[in-house]
Amino acid sequence: MNTFALMIVTPDGVQFDGQAEELVVRTTTGDMGILAGHINCVAPLGMGMATVMVDGQKRYGACIGGMVSVLNGQVKLVPTTFEWADKIDLPRAKASGQRAKDVLADKSSTDTDLRLAEARLKRALIRQSVAQYK
Amino acid sequence: MESTRQITKAMEMVASAKLRKAQNQALACRPYFETLYATIWDIVESNTDMTSPYLSARQGKKMAYVLISGDRGLAGGYNSNVLKLLLSQAEGTEMTVLPMGKKGADHLKSHGISSLTESYTHAESISMGDCFSVAKQLCKGFLKGEYDGVYVVYTKFRSVLSQTPECLQLLPLQKDLEKKHGNCQDIVYEPDSETVFETIVPEYLGGVLYGALCESRASEQAARRTAMDAATQNAQEMIDGLILQFNRARQAAITQEITEIVAGSQ
Repeated sequence: MNTFALMIVTPDGVQFDGQAEELVVRTTTGDMGILAGHINCVAPLGMGMATVMVDGQKRYGACIGGMVSVLNGQVKLVPTTFEWADKIDLPRAKASGQRAKDVLADKSSTDTDLRLAEARLKRALIRQSVAQYK
Repeated sequence: MESTRQITKAMEMVASAKLRKAQNQALACRPYFETLYATIWDIVESNTDMTSPYLSARQGKKMAYVLISGDRGLAGGYNSNVLKLLLSQAEGTEMTVLPMGKKGADHLKSHGISSLTESYTHAESISMGDCFSVAKQLCKGFLKGEYDGVYVVYTKFRSVLSQTPECLQLLPLQKDLEKKHGNCQDIVYEPDSETVFETIVPEYLGGVLYGALCESRASEQAARRTAMDAATQNAQEMIDGLILQFNRARQAAITQEITEIVAGSQ
């Protein structure tokens, strides 16, 4: 299968830099698949699972926020946070999700609190679901 | 003197330890910072659609600066260098400054320069989330026309021995017209270019701010370490000089006493 140069960089460092066969990411408007020879494009990322195929092996990661860009065959995934499935801290994600649920259930929470808690819960759920794919 | 030397020595050690941590963080963050910046500019350069308000240049002179400085002094020229750069850059513009770091904030206050908010004056405790909320705030102000440009003034960490203050233009994302030719390509925007820029620009701003912050933190520690190393050496030199002088004075006193005794016995 044809490969393309893929780079995944986050504020915590480079997560991937090399040749990949396929990349599937969740953008704000839905999943987007990228193969070699893709047209130049840019899309903002939503929250979801990213799948990278390298040497016929699929790797999964929790990918949240940021953007993906394809320019002249070079694919750059620049998310705000990205964790490979085997690097996810499951207990922490569970605890964070539980805390978010508590805030959401609390009737005295303010709008900002609710919004933050909702986003946190979403992130926690994504991490938990991606962690199953180790 | 001895105790001063001990203090500077201790500060050097502390700075070394912190430097290692900050350096790792800066190095980890640097690819992200550079990729993000390069990608955005690539997109802007090959963009043919100029509808986004982020892309159009404005004639106004109201500029917003994010100033990243340290919280504490005793770091050589670290704080004064960024301030000098800010003042020379901002000459002739109406500037609003958002200081990150206590030293910068204090300096602005004493010069009567208005600052946007004082809530990020503790540079060491600013997190990524804070950077993103600052970015959102700046984007909102930019879209409303409160300012016509956004810049960040920070210190680039080149090596442990060399740090240079730099000023980076963040907004507007205006392309260099000479470079435009031959670089025009079609890019597919998903779902459309307006939405893409609307979502990506705040992210880009936040990311770049965070990167600049990491660089600055590493630079601060490196600058402090170098400054304290120099101070320790100076103290050591002074101590050596003083010991020599003291010994000479003592020797002179002894010699004189002996001369007096000899003279008295004759």
